[in-house]
Amino acid sequence: MNTNNNVYTVIYTTVIVVLVAALLAFVSQSLKAKQDANEKAETISQMLTSAQYGTKAELDKLGNAAKLDKYAQEIDKAFVINLDGQVVRELEGIDVYSPKQLKRENYNIKGGPNKTGEPELPVFIFKNGRTVVPIYGAGLWGPIWGYISFENGTATMTGAYFDHESETAGLGAKIKDDPSFQKEFVGEVADFGQANVIEIVKGGAPKDAEGKSVADNKIDAITGATMTSQGLDAAIDTWLAAYAKYFLAQEKSCQKSCCEGKEAHDCKEEAHDCEQHKCEEE
Amino acid sequence: MDAKLKETILNPIFKGNPITVLVLGICSSLAVTVTLKGALVMALSVIVVCGISSLILSLLRNTIPGRVRIIVQLVVVAMMVILVDQVLKSFEATYAIDKQLSVYIGLIITNCIVMGRIEAFALGNKPWPSFLDGVANGAGYGLILIIVAFFRELLGSGTLFGIDILNRFGYVPNNLVILPPFALILLGCIVWVQRSIQKDLQEK
Amino acid sequence: MEYLSLFVKSIFVDNMIFAYFLGMCSFLAVSKNVKTAAGLGVAVIFVLLVTLPINYLLNTYVLAPDALIEGVDLSFLSFIVFIAVIAAIVQIVEMVVEKFSPELYSALGIFLPLIAVNCAILGGSLFMQQKDFLNIGEATVYALGSGIGWFLAIVALAAIREKMSYSNVPAALKGLGITFITVGLMGLAFMTFMGIAL
Repeated sequence: MNTNNNVYTVIYTTVIVVLVAALLAFVSQSLKAKQDANEKAETISQMLTSAQYGTKAELDKLGNAAKLDKYAQEIDKAFVINLDGQVVRELEGIDVYSPKQLKRENYNIKGGPNKTGEPELPVFIFKNGRTVVPIYGAGLWGPIWGYISFENGTATMTGAYFDHESETAGLGAKIKDDPSFQKEFVGEVADFGQANVIEIVKGGAPKDAEGKSVADNKIDAITGATMTSQGLDAAIDTWLAAYAKYFLAQEKSCQKSCCEGKEAHDCKEEAHDCEQHKCEEE
Repeated sequence: MDAKLKETILNPIFKGNPITVLVLGICSSLAVTVTLKGALVMALSVIVVCGISSLILSLLRNTIPGRVRIIVQLVVVAMMVILVDQVLKSFEATYAIDKQLSVYIGLIITNCIVMGRIEAFALGNKPWPSFLDGVANGAGYGLILIIVAFFRELLGSGTLFGIDILNRFGYVPNNLVILPPFALILLGCIVWVQRSIQKDLQEK
Repeated sequence: MEYLSLFVKSIFVDNMIFAYFLGMCSFLAVSKNVKTAAGLGVAVIFVLLVTLPINYLLNTYVLAPDALIEGVDLSFLSFIVFIAVIAAIVQIVEMVVEKFSPELYSALGIFLPLIAVNCAILGGSLFMQQKDFLNIGEATVYALGSGIGWFLAIVALAAIREKMSYSNVPAALKGLGITFITVGLMGLAFMTFMGIAL
């Protein structure tokens, strides 16, 4: 057979390409529902990890159905806000944002040709008094995303979980694999007043005399993973800046109801915790 | 087993090693050798992909038109890898495995070893030897990965498979070792050792 | 992003070889002399320059969610589409080189078809997908910059290797071994560019 004649070459290539495309499209369509279910359970376990309902490994042992149940049980309320911090709509049932949806919102926050509409930012408030918000951005090789939890009504972080598509194992992948990196966020305070909400710094975040990390917005970068650290820093800043108005308003209203001695929803529980000097200023 | 087949299997492990002699698959050997676990996962994936894609393309070898062979090779390899990824992603039991592997998918498809062996061996040989050649080259590649990863994880993090080995003795992990340039220097040393033993490989 | 800063950044700061260590196989194997190295360098520039804009258009108008048909997300095909485009262009380059420069064709050997799996080329397309370029102009400038960065790197290494053939390297380290080590040291030197923001 002469495999070098033109007609044969064209037909052969066409058949191969069509076959492959058809096969891939078929497989991807028929498996999509299952993949989405897995992805949803994974997203939920990441949010629960960030909200300190257990470590990722513990939550992964639960299985998909149990993860969904746990979320349904523990979620207090979930809603979507706009850039002004106003609630646009409630999220009913188990409605979480997959990385794909986050990617779309990321375009909407940043603007540019890929913008499809006004940003819709999800906020998840859990029954243990934690507010969880997502972040999304670009790492060294591919997208990175994650969930950061805050104590209700404050800018104090209580946990974080990050994931990635293809960062270098042992370096950039540490944002996901290294629990001690994620633990660094606990107790640090985001600075919603400025563009650089959180700073991931090389060479060590400031420490106090006892060697404990100072409660500021600075976090230690991962050694050897400069690009991933920079990408994560940019992702967190972009997203938290988009949430800034919501957080600032929430903080203010909590402070106010605290000063007035009223009980407020979605605020830190201990009423005695309000800062007296701020009350006097009011 | 006849001598030729045996040669096909043994040659790529040492004398004709894909990394140190054929200079194939360097990019991925820099990227995945920071931890031993990563190196092991990548080595196994490449053995499987290299073997099976050599087999398939060797079966197709007489039908592929010469002028579009690169497209056909790459499309077949990429399709296989993506299919496996899609299937693993769909089942609850395998989803966790897929999350570990998905990082390497791009590196596997563009791994020069896979295409290099198809181009140099599978297109001119029968399916069975091609399959063996693919597997053996994958193994030769994996061997080097594991050697490099052993030193990089031990000296760079003080651990092996994530288990503390040196740190408990007060070892301070050397951050230079986890940077990609050090992997190149290590590879240079491996070549040095290999060529000191295998004198006929030395260049003039 | 401004074109000039993108251009300079993609040559030096985001150098495909020394910052990302992509496209190493052919980089190491085909850098024995400056002439062949320059030939392969030009081929890589050309392939990047053609495939990246094509892939940019495909990515924006076909593969992105809702781009082709409302509600259809074809992004799972992006890998295979990018690779098919690259393979097709490499195939054309191979035929052209074989016809017009048989000498270069035989010098490049297997590494000419292997441009198709040169990670630098696919890496270029994947980075393009990530960097969210505003228009095709930026994608083209990025392709040109990355290609020139790769070209400069391979020519620099070839020049060093030509000089090194006069030095007294241990027999077993000659050739490939010392090249690995040289590239490692060059990579360390290039890391100084990493902190520069343009």
